[in-house]
Parts: sequence; structure tokens; C-alpha cells
Amino acid sequence: MEANRCLGYRISLTCIGAVMIKFSNVSLIYPNSTTTVLENLNLEIQEGELVLVIGSTGSGKSSLLRLINGLVPHHTGGILAGDVSVNGVSTQMVKPGGMAHLIGIVGQNPANTFVADTVEDELAFGMETLNLPLDVMRKRIEETLDLLSLTSLRNRSIATLSGGEQQRVAIGAALVTHPKVLVLDEPTSALDPIAAEEVLSILHRLVHDLSLTVVIAEHKLERVIQFADRIVQINGDGVAKIGTPQQILLESPIAPPIVHLARALGLKEIGVSVRDMRRMTSEIREGAYVQQPTREASIDNPIITIDSLSLSYAEKKVLKQISTNVYAHEIVAVMGRNGAGKSSLLKSLAGIMDGVNGAVLVDSQDPQKLKGKNRRETIGFIPQEPSDLLYGQSVSIECAQADSDNQVAAGTTLSVLNQLVPGISLHAHPRDLSEGQRLGLALSVVLSGNPKILILDEPTRGLDYQAKNELTRILIEFAKATGKCVLLATHDVELVAELARRVIYIADRDIVADGTTLDVLLSSPAFAPQVSKVMSPQPWLKVSDVIAALDNPL
Amino acid sequence: MKKLSLHPLTWWIWAIGLAIAVIRFDSTVFTLCCVGAVAVVVYSNRDDAPWGNSFTWTLKLATWILFIRTVIGVLIGVPVPGRQLFVLPILPLPSWMPGIRVGGTVTAERLSSALTEGLLICSIIVIFGAAASLTSPHKLLRVLPIYIYEFGVAVVIATTVLPQLVTSVARIRQAQRLRGQTLKGFTSWKRVAIPLLEESLARSLDLAAAMDSRGYGVSRKRSTYRPIKWKLTDALVIASALLVLGLS
Repeated sequence: MEANRCLGYRISLTCIGAVMIKFSNVSLIYPNSTTTVLENLNLEIQEGELVLVIGSTGSGKSSLLRLINGLVPHHTGGILAGDVSVNGVSTQMVKPGGMAHLIGIVGQNPANTFVADTVEDELAFGMETLNLPLDVMRKRIEETLDLLSLTSLRNRSIATLSGGEQQRVAIGAALVTHPKVLVLDEPTSALDPIAAEEVLSILHRLVHDLSLTVVIAEHKLERVIQFADRIVQINGDGVAKIGTPQQILLESPIAPPIVHLARALGLKEIGVSVRDMRRMTSEIREGAYVQQPTREASIDNPIITIDSLSLSYAEKKVLKQISTNVYAHEIVAVMGRNGAGKSSLLKSLAGIMDGVNGAVLVDSQDPQKLKGKNRRETIGFIPQEPSDLLYGQSVSIECAQADSDNQVAAGTTLSVLNQLVPGISLHAHPRDLSEGQRLGLALSVVLSGNPKILILDEPTRGLDYQAKNELTRILIEFAKATGKCVLLATHDVELVAELARRVIYIADRDIVADGTTLDVLLSSPAFAPQVSKVMSPQPWLKVSDVIAALDNPL
Repeated sequence: MKKLSLHPLTWWIWAIGLAIAVIRFDSTVFTLCCVGAVAVVVYSNRDDAPWGNSFTWTLKLATWILFIRTVIGVLIGVPVPGRQLFVLPILPLPSWMPGIRVGGTVTAERLSSALTEGLLICSIIVIFGAAASLTSPHKLLRVLPIYIYEFGVAVVIATTVLPQLVTSVARIRQAQRLRGQTLKGFTSWKRVAIPLLEESLARSLDLAAAMDSRGYGVSRKRSTYRPIKWKLTDALVIASALLVLGLS
């Protein structure tokens, strides 16, 4: 690819194609902040390029994206030096509204940004504000509905759509005005692997068919890396690196599992797609290895028993007649498509769900009847928004409050927190922490109550790789103690591969698969982690599996 | 029953009509009838949208206001002669505050006048709360003229975010119940209020940024994809309010 050959900080103008987005000497600093988000960034993005922005949470990825259409600094404040221009229009001259015909922007949380009730009206909104004539609007709405396979949803109320469908509507609403640039902030963070695949393949098609310029920020690199032409890596201290995926990922600490695999195997090059990596590792796959013994879980004394449980939500059956048990030391991942009923199942185990039929016993008690201290010592629950659990004005107040709530010695929560995520400023407001730190704080509040069972609902939303590794370590440590177990609902197959021993897969209101992580993940290509895709048919899920097997050849 | 699909301004005009009628009539019986009628209309017409559930909260809020207004009305004010119910101790006030008395004899007349006044205020809140819960804020935005666009953004944010608060409250309370909290009353509300305010602020900013990036308010002219038309049912609803207003 022509653009891929242009390397380094400053992209030479010999590249083929018109420059679409241009950052010249851009520096950004927010008031009351001591660190610059960006310092003297020069970047040119060509027409028809797909650029991926990576960096740990809080490093300024969203700020970079919002600079493109001028939301930063027009909407958020902050001091901007240098110039950002799109298609020759500078954001200093024009407000974000004036860029609406050039740039479509899809925020991190599309549900917060909808301005209409039905899908069709939402698509029309942008064109109405641009004062396009009716016949143009009709044609483009049909086009967009087809392009994003939204035709069957056109009259549906947006509030009733699933996460994946809402994401598609948001992309459609951004595309319908025929912008030249599409900017997406974590477009797949809330989506299951299949929905994420759909969204990304649509973007890939738009880049290749219409030469649309796309800028994406994403944490889950394994999902997007194969589509990216170039990567911008932000370190959070103002430094940014720009280059092809191969160049950046060679050294970047932020890397998808296949890159870690390539490093662990000592390969000279790194592949960014499963196909590349398979070509490089065919010898390894063909070898014969000693089978790792699979440790059998103890099956005496289940901690959680679920017996013919049926759930209904808003007069709709979510789950019917499911039965399973969870035993001590187990880490069980509940997986399934968006809206399959994972959250409802977890909530019913925690006893906060209405419309429950059947028997659920947690530590031989009915979770609905748990109260106060007894509840805290039985179930620890981390909801989808960990901040729901927090209400203190600072980390130290929050911890002191948790100590008195949980009736434990003063300082207990704080010491748990220091073990989990060291180095959090005690005076920081919980809102100002990064996603990972906030999850750590919520976890320590819950763990200081010393619960037997830990339940987490989608814990990896917005977490970077480092925070995910921390979470994995914490949960494995927790499950080692006597009589404890962990249940989590997640879309993140890589996390499941690293963490869980058992997977329960829910679809069509029923448990479709319930078995070891290896069996369940390998049986479906959509839910297979990257390492297993590369190493198939060898039964390896994660980099450490591969290394362990290589150490034990037959 | 099939839900009425009305012009977004209909329920607001209806509410304004009823509110004026209630104030002009100034009769407890009529006010109570009006609030009753409004409640029936809302509960038979509301849909599953997020703002559909906000009316219950409006009622709760109105009850609180009525309670507080009545207590204050009984405590503070000029003495009203009449049948004595009970006597409260009088709070001594400095001499530069003549004419104001806190405590004292509470008569049935004083209680009833405090209640009537409180009821009037609450009925207005209930009537407009009903209009808000029956109208889609998104539809309202589309019929607002573009030259009051800042006002439009504010209206949409207020009417979208406030009802969403109701869902958030339920979610946050649930999460805190999980923390094993069995607190009641003010303290528990303080603990809900902080995450709630933060969330709604973040949400409002998101929405405002999204509307801005999509060019809302840039062009003074705006085309309409599916024009919202006035229908016969709209006329009937408005006529009903005007009829009540005429009677008052």
C-alpha cells in the first residue's frame, strides 16, 4: 500500500492521494492540568486511509479525535496551539457545526447522543439541519439503511434496539450526510464479537469502496488491527508515534495477543492478521506436543445452584428453565450475544431481579432475602457502571465510608486498594480516575466486605490491556481462597481465555454450551481468541499455553 | 387501547390551558378533579419511552412539595381566626421582624388555606409534568423554530435528561442495595444524588456535543423529512382544554 511506505513523524508529501486531515504543530493542554495531552504533533492523514489511535486510558485518544472536528477546544475548553484542518478547512475558523457536512463523528456511547425517537428520523436529523431537499434525503436514507442492514429496523424506536444495532444506527446517522471523514471513538467496546465484526467490516468496505477517511480509537486491538493502514500511538505525556501497524507494534507495550505471540516465539517480523501469523508459524503447529493435563474442577458442594430458573423482563421471557452449578475456586465466564440475558442472569443470582421463577441458592441462601452485612459477606457485585457503587467525594472518603459500612477496621479498604491498584492519589475524585482505577476502587470497596462470591457485569468496557491484566491477576487471586468463586459476563474473548476455566454460553433463552473454556471457545470461530485461531488445530488459547507446550515436545 | 400520535405541541398547549383554568377557578374540588383527569389521561396514553415513566416521579415530587408547603404555611404567617386545632410554642423573633410569627395557634382555617394554596402549586406541577411525560422531547425539538436554537438545545437536554434520571435512579439504588445498604431517607438520597448528577451532566454534555457536531443550528433554514402535521385529534385535545378554560 502506497501510504504505508510513508514512515515516521512527518509524512512526506510524495505519498499518493490528497491530504484529508492535517495536524500542524498541534499542542493541547487542559486548564488545571500539569501535563500536555499532545505536544507538537504533526500528522497528515490521506484520503481513504484507516487510521487507528491507540494509547492507555486517559492518554488523550478521545481528545485527539475531538480535535478533528473542533469539539476540542470549542466544546470542551483547553488551550490549543497549532492548527488542525480537514479538507483545507481549519477548525480555528469554523465551529464543529460548520464541519458537519465534512465530518461524521460517532461518540463512545451512542445511546447518549441520539436526538430522535425512530431509526429513520435519527438518520434524517443530520440532513435536515444541513437543509437538504426532500428527494435527496429519501434517496440517501434508503442507501444508508441498505448499507448498514438497518432496513428491517427503520421504524423501530431507538430505545428498544440492542447495543450493536444502536452502534450501527449511530454510524448510519454519521454517514448519511456523505462526510469525507468518519471519526469513531471505541466503536466496538460495548459489542459482542459478532456485532463488532459486522461494524468493522462495514467500515472496511466504506474505506475501500468510497475512499472514506476513517479515524478510530479502540482498546481491543485484536478486533481492529487487521483493518488499520497506520497507527497513531499516544503516550499521555504529549509524545505521539506514527507509523504502520508493523512498525508501531514491534515495540509498543499496547499490543494484541498475536503480537505478544510473535514476540514470545522470537519471530523476526510481526504479523498483524491471523493469516500472516499462520504463515509464519506453520512449523510450530505441525509439531507434536505433550498434552497439558486439564485440571478437573471439584464437583462437591456447589456454591451457587441454579435449578430450572426462568427469567422474564418487561413481559418478555429472557431465560427459560436453565440449570447449572458453580463450584468453589471456579471462574466462570457467561458469554452470549448482546441482549442474550447475561446481565439478567447475574442480577438474578445477586437477588435484585424481579420476574424470577425457579430456585437459585447462593451459599445455601436465597439471594432475594440477603440483607446488610450478610449480603456483603455472601455476594460482591460489580455492576456495568462501577461508579454506581461510588458516591464519595474522594478516594480516601470512599474507602473510609466502605470501612464503616462493612464494619471492618479502619484502613482495611485502603489496604485492599493499595494491593489491587497501587499509586492512586487519595485526594482524587472517583470521577477523575481512569476506568481501570475506578474499577479497582469499586472492587476494593466490595472486597473489603470479604464476599464469598464475586460477580462482575462487563468489567472490561473501556479497560486497556494493562488494566485487564491487573483485573485478571486480582480475580485469579480471589478465586484461589477457600470457598470462593467468580462469575463474570463479558464479550471479551481474550480476557475469558486468560481468566476463566469454564464458559457458559447463552443463546435463544437457554444455555447452549456449558463446558471448559477450551471446549466452548474453540467450538465457535467467532468466539475463538486470536492465539487459538493462529494455532488451530492445536488446543491453545493464550500465549502462555503455546510456550508451555513448546517446552514439552513429544 | 391504541396510543394517540399527536403533535408534540398539543399536550403543552393543553397543559397551559388547564393550568390557567385551575388558577382562575381556584377551587379545591375543581383542582383535584383536574389532577385526577390528568392522571387518567397520562396513565392511559403513556408509552414505554424513557420519559413515559417520569409522571410517577412528578406525582411523588408534587406530594413532597405539598407536604413541605403545608408545614411551612402552618408554622409561619399571620394568625387566622377560627376553630382552634392545637397551639404551638411561639418562636421569639427580633424586633425588626414585626408581623411575622413562627408557631402559635393553629386553626382549622389556617390549615385549610395552607393546604389549598399548596394544592394549587402542586396541580400546576402535575399538569406540566404530564405534558412532559406525554411528549417526545425529540419530536418537540423538530417543531421548534430554528432561530431559538440555543433554547431548543436546552429544552431537549432538559426533557431528555430529566426522564433518563428516573432510570438512572433505579439503577444506582439497585447497585447500592448490592453494597448491602439498607439506608432510608435523606442519607440514602444523598448517596444516590452524587453519582446521578455526575452521570446526567456527562450525558448532557455528550448530547450537546453530538447536536453541535451534526450541524444543529448552523443553517437558519432547515428542511423536514417527515413533516409533523396537526390532526383532528390534536384539535380535539386542545378544544377540551379550551372548553374547561371557557367554563372557568
